[in-house]
Amino acid sequence: MKKKVVSVLLSAAMVASLLAGCGSSGGSSAASSSAPAASEAAPAASEAAPASEAAPASEAASTEAAAAGAHAGDDDKLTGTEFEGLKANEAYNFAVVVKSFQSTYWQAAIKGMDMAAGELGVTYDAQGPNSESDIADQVNMLNSAITGGPAGIGLAACDTTSVLDSLQDAKDANVPVVCFDTGVADAPDGSVVATVATDNTQAGEVAAEHMYEAVKDVIASAEGQVRIGEVNQDATALNIQQRGLGFINKMIELVKADGKTVAVTGNEFYVNAAEGADGDESSADVIIEVAVPAQTTVELCTTEASTILSKEDCIAIFGSNQTSAEGLLAANSNLNLLGSDAAGGDVIGVGFDAGSVIKGAIADGTMYGAVTQSPLMMGYYMIYALTKAANGDSVTDLPTDGYWYNAENMNDAEIAPNLYD
Amino acid sequence: MENKKKFVLEQKWIVLIIVILLYGFFSIVSKEFHKTSTMVMMLDSTYYVLLMAIGVTFPLITGGVDLSIGTGMVCYALTGGYLVKFLGLPSWVGMLVAVLFGLIVGIWNGCLVSILGLPPFLATLCSCMITRGLGSMMAHNFAVPWPGVKEPGGWFHRIFKYTIGSGRKASNYPVGVLVLAVVIIIMIFVLNHTRIGRYTIAIGSNKEATRLSGVNVKIYHIAAYTISGLFAGLASVAYAAAVPTIQPGTGAGLELDAIGGAIVGGVSAAGGYGSVEGTLIGVFVIQLLKTGLPFIGLEANWQQIITGLVLIGAVIVDVLKQRKAALAGD
Repeated sequence: MKKKVVSVLLSAAMVASLLAGCGSSGGSSAASSSAPAASEAAPAASEAAPASEAAPASEAASTEAAAAGAHAGDDDKLTGTEFEGLKANEAYNFAVVVKSFQSTYWQAAIKGMDMAAGELGVTYDAQGPNSESDIADQVNMLNSAITGGPAGIGLAACDTTSVLDSLQDAKDANVPVVCFDTGVADAPDGSVVATVATDNTQAGEVAAEHMYEAVKDVIASAEGQVRIGEVNQDATALNIQQRGLGFINKMIELVKADGKTVAVTGNEFYVNAAEGADGDESSADVIIEVAVPAQTTVELCTTEASTILSKEDCIAIFGSNQTSAEGLLAANSNLNLLGSDAAGGDVIGVGFDAGSVIKGAIADGTMYGAVTQSPLMMGYYMIYALTKAANGDSVTDLPTDGYWYNAENMNDAEIAPNLYD
Repeated sequence: MENKKKFVLEQKWIVLIIVILLYGFFSIVSKEFHKTSTMVMMLDSTYYVLLMAIGVTFPLITGGVDLSIGTGMVCYALTGGYLVKFLGLPSWVGMLVAVLFGLIVGIWNGCLVSILGLPPFLATLCSCMITRGLGSMMAHNFAVPWPGVKEPGGWFHRIFKYTIGSGRKASNYPVGVLVLAVVIIIMIFVLNHTRIGRYTIAIGSNKEATRLSGVNVKIYHIAAYTISGLFAGLASVAYAAAVPTIQPGTGAGLELDAIGGAIVGGVSAAGGYGSVEGTLIGVFVIQLLKTGLPFIGLEANWQQIITGLVLIGAVIVDVLKQRKAALAGD
């Protein structure tokens, strides 16, 4: 008996070591031969992130200096906004409560705040819980910020219902609150003076415009039907709905403008909410197929992306947030269809947000491009909005743009700070 | 005893027929489903569910359950991945840490259940919460990407999927099938021909009788949970190879795919019998539904409802089986 066990274990160990051996030698040869410089750069950049984490203060200081250098006298961010020519009446001190400091997304927001504070001559104290799910901690921070009597509070709420009482307190204490990144829909009247958040409809439209640019010749010369896919993580969250519909409606508009017919199929919500589709599924020149997974996991997004990508007539696909965009890439790891040469038969993949996986895929040309939100601009405008409110003027909500990025511009000074790992 | 064995065998074969029918049905309805690439994609996510399911088969047979495997797997993948991606350690260190972490949580679960006598449902539910928090903490709340297949240290992807060529000409070979076949053969042997396996079944059939016959029940009870933890650790490596970025705070619900697979494959929810090969077949039912239903264009909500209904079917078979056994005076 024992001998049997030992022999089985030994043979298992041998097989394991064989496999391990194959694996590692294969790995090193692939590493030395493949991988263009750009994709090498991605892991290096992400490795640097935790190191800078250790000294956020010094990093913030240095980027402030760099940003000031890059943007000296550069007022185009304010042109056309209500903040043009805004001056702070006093050297206000604001309190800012972010969702957490851990992700580079929030580090980018801090950079924007530093830029604005430097330009206006105001100061702020930022705090945030250890993680975006530490809701109670964040409420405590918000409450103590209100007690401190700042000139205003910038808030990115982890949970939009938990902060309602605190917002009432802020209103009672006459502290104006500007929400950024995430709006609080049910905020007590008058407590939140303005919300600075991504215009998700516009962000979806940006994705559609750039995707259409890449595939319009393919659509024009197509002999049969072609299919454009969209994977939305869900059909319930407002920001995903807006992004998904922004993309669909813009795509319909663009396709129709070139004299083609279009039909929308797939998820019921998006099919019903889409506007302007004139074609029938069986006869339309272009089909926009919308897939929504049963749960918001990468695995299920992968399956949904595969169902669309597997179809012969699929020419392009959009993943409307980080999870679904990574799902496209995971599906592509089996299908190997994505690329940047639509005329040559590549399927054009467009993503949303960032993260090292998406950035790597864009840098090496697997993914055509993506839309990023701008935490930097949200932080920047939030400080301006607070200053204007503290001056005693009224402020309106300010939607920030989604920005297109691809292999060419992803390292630009305007884009790179927004692309978190 | 003979009667029971026969019945387990029967359910296993029935389920195998269901697997073949499902595959045939999906292939006829959707020609995309029939593609090799779809099969390879399904296998990607089958590896980690199957590894979890093989592990959790042992606590299930003892009459317990391990709910911590889903969040546990993500926790170990986060921890190992953090070491590799952010601290620059070699991939094998991350993998080793992930597997050992799983082993330790398995021993912990075993001790809670066996020595402290906590109900397995509660003990492992607590571990589920703990591993969920611990995973986020270990990764410092970062979403953790393990090295990609083309990056240095990405060799572990090739344990499961070997890619030849690049770009549109690349072809993928699901070599994980061979690896899993070896693991399954070993675990079939462990369950049926070693003390650990046989006492696991004995504990599930009648714990008191097993104890009275002089078996150190506590140790073997711990062993069952340790195997479950170890396999959750192994699953975390397969998960890291299948998912581009491991997100902190996720993983809850994945254990249900594994447990569901084991139950569908004929492991008794009340303990006492089950088989590794049955679990293998059961997992394929779950995975076929998960992959196939989207391919035939079924809406997301229906996918969950149908998967739930299939599970009820399997549990009803189990209940009928027990009633029959009780009637037979067994």
